[in-house]
Amino acid sequence: MIALIRSEFRKVFSTKLLLILSLAALGFMQLQIFLLVFLSPPGFEDINRLMDPAFIKIIIASAGSASVFLLILGIVAMSGEYRNQTITSTFLTTPVRWRVIAAKMVTFAILALAISLILWFIAAITTMLLLGTQDSAPFEWSAAFEILGGTLLGLVLYAILGVAIGSLITSQVAAIIIALVFTFVLEPLISLFFLSVGKWLPGNALNSILQTGSGGPESSASDLLDVPIGVLLLVGYTIVFAIAAAIVTNKRDIT
Amino acid sequence: MVEHLTKRFGSGVTAVADLSFSAAPGKVTGFLGPNGAGKTTTLRCLLGLVAQTEGKATIDGVTYREIENPITVVGASLEASGAHPARTARNHLRMIASAAKITDTRVSEVLETVGLTAAADRKVGGYSLGMRQRLALAVALLGDPKVLILDEPANGLDPEGISWLRTFLRHQASKGVSVLVSSHVLSEVQQTVDDVIIIRSGSLVYQGSLHALTEGGPAEVVVRGPNIDQLVLSSEWTSRAVAGGETVITGASIEAVGRAAFEQSLELHELSSKSADLEQLFLGLTAEESPTNQSVNGKGGPE
Repeated sequence: MIALIRSEFRKVFSTKLLLILSLAALGFMQLQIFLLVFLSPPGFEDINRLMDPAFIKIIIASAGSASVFLLILGIVAMSGEYRNQTITSTFLTTPVRWRVIAAKMVTFAILALAISLILWFIAAITTMLLLGTQDSAPFEWSAAFEILGGTLLGLVLYAILGVAIGSLITSQVAAIIIALVFTFVLEPLISLFFLSVGKWLPGNALNSILQTGSGGPESSASDLLDVPIGVLLLVGYTIVFAIAAAIVTNKRDIT
Repeated sequence: MVEHLTKRFGSGVTAVADLSFSAAPGKVTGFLGPNGAGKTTTLRCLLGLVAQTEGKATIDGVTYREIENPITVVGASLEASGAHPARTARNHLRMIASAAKITDTRVSEVLETVGLTAAADRKVGGYSLGMRQRLALAVALLGDPKVLILDEPANGLDPEGISWLRTFLRHQASKGVSVLVSSHVLSEVQQTVDDVIIIRSGSLVYQGSLHALTEGGPAEVVVRGPNIDQLVLSSEWTSRAVAGGETVITGASIEAVGRAAFEQSLELHELSSKSADLEQLFLGLTAEESPTNQSVNGKGGPE
């Protein structure tokens, strides 16, 4: 398994995929932090939300917005093997296919851990610097540390989920579109109208871990699942998808 | 060794139908058939990439997926086995090598063997078809295997490349490596193979030595001379005139034709025997139209 993980690391670092998606995640996160600090959503113009320590925590939790990029990272890494037909030599080298999937999941979990740690740190520093220019409640590192565990766990699980989805839907374009539509259209819609159902979806399980609310203007963390349940739910989703990926891949004809 | 192998794809297409053959160890065996005959599907079943519907495909008595670290036992290059276009050949080999616990020194060795050393650190995306074939061969050789399974390795090679491939295959065989090489063009492998397996529409049409295949064909005698049209033929013979004033006689031995011309006092400028044309034989064996093939080809699906 160590050999397979080494092979996976060689695969990742011999293309630019990781660099591009990490930079995209960073840019998106910074944009979100700027918007949250400098713009108030409609209806909130009169309230200085920056005075609310809970809101500051939400700003720092922007690191969690990288989740979709790590999801795509996992999807592209796995489905890319089918797209570029490297899957043939991969499975010729390692015919016990679940081991390939497991090695890829471990690899991207390690990468996601490193990326999310860096992003969390940059998010905290950026928030601290920007709040210094504003009339706001003081920046507290303790608030940043409260969401650290959730950010790391959430992003790691999303990267693993991405690998699983990339194994289940091997058409790269289809896999990315389905993941994006689900994340940005389906989940928000369901959450908006049926939060009692929506809070059980992966995105809101992640939000509950990050303690940021479901994203609607009047939402708050209290609408979502308790943190431990959110963790269990997201871990559960990841396990189910991983097992499904292993079973489906094992039966697939590589033509 | 393939026994009663059958593969039906989900769409109802039968790519391989009850196919059985064996390739002898230490020999180069040509695996021939027209496009769409089921060669690639058979090889992919043998390599554990495609699950057969029925039957068995084994190498030295075990299935590919049962072999521990298989690329050190069986090296394979398949048609649709690509490399990431942004990756260099060396990195492509290194990622496979590390998964099989093979050293980077070996990576350099196989690059040298296939003549890609100079291009090893260039991105595969810029490679010609011939260079990709050489890279695929390098992958197959990486584990220093005793069995090589090569799917259409001559595709995309220029005449120089094909000549290089022949030498390469003979060299491998001389080292005791068993080679199974597929092709849809007999002439590509004709000078290289010991045995041939010919399939059509997923079924075996011939297995045996190339030599035995040519002996099975009808013998022909070519004669040429100024008054050759006056030659009276024995009743079992048939003759046809071909370009250049030659006449081809079928069903006769060269001695019999020579005697006939002598007895009839005819001047001869040429008397030669023509061995059956392998390509013609091959086409004859594989020519029959098959609707199954057509549908597979039409979909651009697996062979």
